[in-house]
Amino acid sequence: MRWKKLGRIFDPTQFALPNGCTHFAQSPQALVFDDRVRIYFSTRSLEAATGKYLSQVAWADFDKGLGRVLRVSSRAALELGGLGCFDEHGIFPLSPVRVDDAVYAYTTGWSRRVSVSVETAIGLAISRDGGERFERVGTGPVLAPSLREPYLVGDGFVRRFGGRFHMWYIFGTRWKRPVSGGEPERTYKIGHAVSDDGVAWEKEEGRQIVPDRLGPDESQALPTVLRIGDRWHMFFCYRQSFDFRSNRERAYRIGHASSGDLEIWERADDDPRLEVEDRGWDADMMCYPNAFECEGRVYLLYNGNQFGRYGFGAAVLE
Amino acid sequence: MAKFRWTKLGKVFTPQTVTDRPWLKEFAQAPASLVLDEAVRIYFSCRPPPDAAGQYVSYSAWVDLDRRDLRRVKAVAEAPILELGETGTFDEFGTYPVSVARAGDEIRAYYGGWTRCESVPFNVAIGLATSADGGRTFQRAGAGPLLSYTPDEPFVLSGPKIRRFAGTWYLFYIAGTKWKIVSGRPEPVYKIRMATSPDGLRWTRHRRDLVESRVEEDEAQASPDVFWRDGRYHMLFCYRYSADFRGKARGYRIGYASSTDLLEWSRDDTQAGIDVSDEGWDSEMVAYPHVFEVDGTVYLAYLGNQVGRHGFGLARLDSTGAGGGRSP
Repeated sequence: MRWKKLGRIFDPTQFALPNGCTHFAQSPQALVFDDRVRIYFSTRSLEAATGKYLSQVAWADFDKGLGRVLRVSSRAALELGGLGCFDEHGIFPLSPVRVDDAVYAYTTGWSRRVSVSVETAIGLAISRDGGERFERVGTGPVLAPSLREPYLVGDGFVRRFGGRFHMWYIFGTRWKRPVSGGEPERTYKIGHAVSDDGVAWEKEEGRQIVPDRLGPDESQALPTVLRIGDRWHMFFCYRQSFDFRSNRERAYRIGHASSGDLEIWERADDDPRLEVEDRGWDADMMCYPNAFECEGRVYLLYNGNQFGRYGFGAAVLE
Repeated sequence: MAKFRWTKLGKVFTPQTVTDRPWLKEFAQAPASLVLDEAVRIYFSCRPPPDAAGQYVSYSAWVDLDRRDLRRVKAVAEAPILELGETGTFDEFGTYPVSVARAGDEIRAYYGGWTRCESVPFNVAIGLATSADGGRTFQRAGAGPLLSYTPDEPFVLSGPKIRRFAGTWYLFYIAGTKWKIVSGRPEPVYKIRMATSPDGLRWTRHRRDLVESRVEEDEAQASPDVFWRDGRYHMLFCYRYSADFRGKARGYRIGYASSTDLLEWSRDDTQAGIDVSDEGWDSEMVAYPHVFEVDGTVYLAYLGNQVGRHGFGLARLDSTGAGGGRSP
């Protein structure tokens, strides 16, 4: 298997986005319709009181070849949570999945902390109108910290296989200050939970399901799973936990693992491998993948340099 | 006439009398009992002086009261029962309050863990720790919480009270329903909730507020302390107004509800049988009730003014409407 890159397909600076957002189109997540592909993404507005960013979810509709933007949302797909709620300061990402006639959106809600920068948890909002408007199932999260997953539960990606809901997500394993000093940085790994209804989840409680390639300091994020042939394939991104923002040798790359039973995952980042370029929009970093099938082809959406500040691109599997 | 008649025995522990433990400067909050052979151990939560920014952390510890005379302090914990959590964990800035129960040879502590937030001052989730040395020291069951947030319990899960009735574990606790801006400052509104478990580890939440609000819709309710007596379940708890609650008029009082099945509760605060005194340490508020029985007598431990800044006191049950109690 081989990825053929299609280049950057969405540049947020070229569109009028909701809430006055001008930069960032992060963690693209596809929902396929008969006549188009809707791609939800997180963009950013500035909070006047603090001067800090708020991640807001918007979407863009593409033609089914991902070559043309048909329409961009005029308002946020889901407003941010209320005072003190887990998703008060951002929703990033929003991951949609069709469940019967509804669209379930698993959100990662962000709220700011004092000793560390942020805490996250996974929420659920449901759309009954095909993905236009979403309504939360409650003001709190459906997946939150637990005894062996103490913080930073996020990046929920849900699919139903054999009548069972599966969620792949990440949980934090450590907040640690870099040796060179500075603010604590986080490390997270990919976990797995199951559910009968998509609302009440049973975690594997601290089991890291994909082996590290970079050792214990590897952070893994944004798992996305689909079936290709007779195996399940997972794409995700991984990086070093320190000095990963501007050092391209330590920045996010796209990882891959496959499984025959959804239990045991074999890591194989090079098959298929998303090549690193010498220059261009995704030369320094490749992150936040989302894999989906459309018209018989498998696509991978992902972000490039600066975590998606300048948009997202796509690749197609050959 | 009140269902219960309590005789106040006065304040029995004053944290300011302990001078050689820097982490125990003031406050002895949320008393919770463990009956030992020679003593009644009362767990409580306390604080060192605030930091430069005026922020507190809280620890939990214990004091042993002489079983033959509960007004006599025999010993005070040498160290907190649990260190604060590590960077980024739910209990990094406080372990308060705590409720203990025996489970075979070990003793379990269910406790509120505190973290600090940016837009609101804090959040709380419920943790679990166990003791293998009879309740002197505890170790966390995990770095994360046992009970965390859910769609309908979005924040401020605190005040756990662990009980066992007829082989089932019950956790009474509070869950926040909203953050309300009072004089420009966010204050949480919280209500009493319940969860059940076959083993004290895997919990099923009842997903309902157990006790109706009385003084106002945003009444805050805390310390749901449930016991069985005279053929029914009784709950003492405390409640206060949502604003201007740090003084006498709108501060904590002790309320009462009863139930035959632990699910449906009927509130009648006139039955609590305890109120503020005319003067003294509990003249402005009475709060955080905890009922326990030792050697045939029922006692109530509770907090007074400033929610336990100067310690906790005891009252003794003199009478109830009917005969003695027996666990189901």
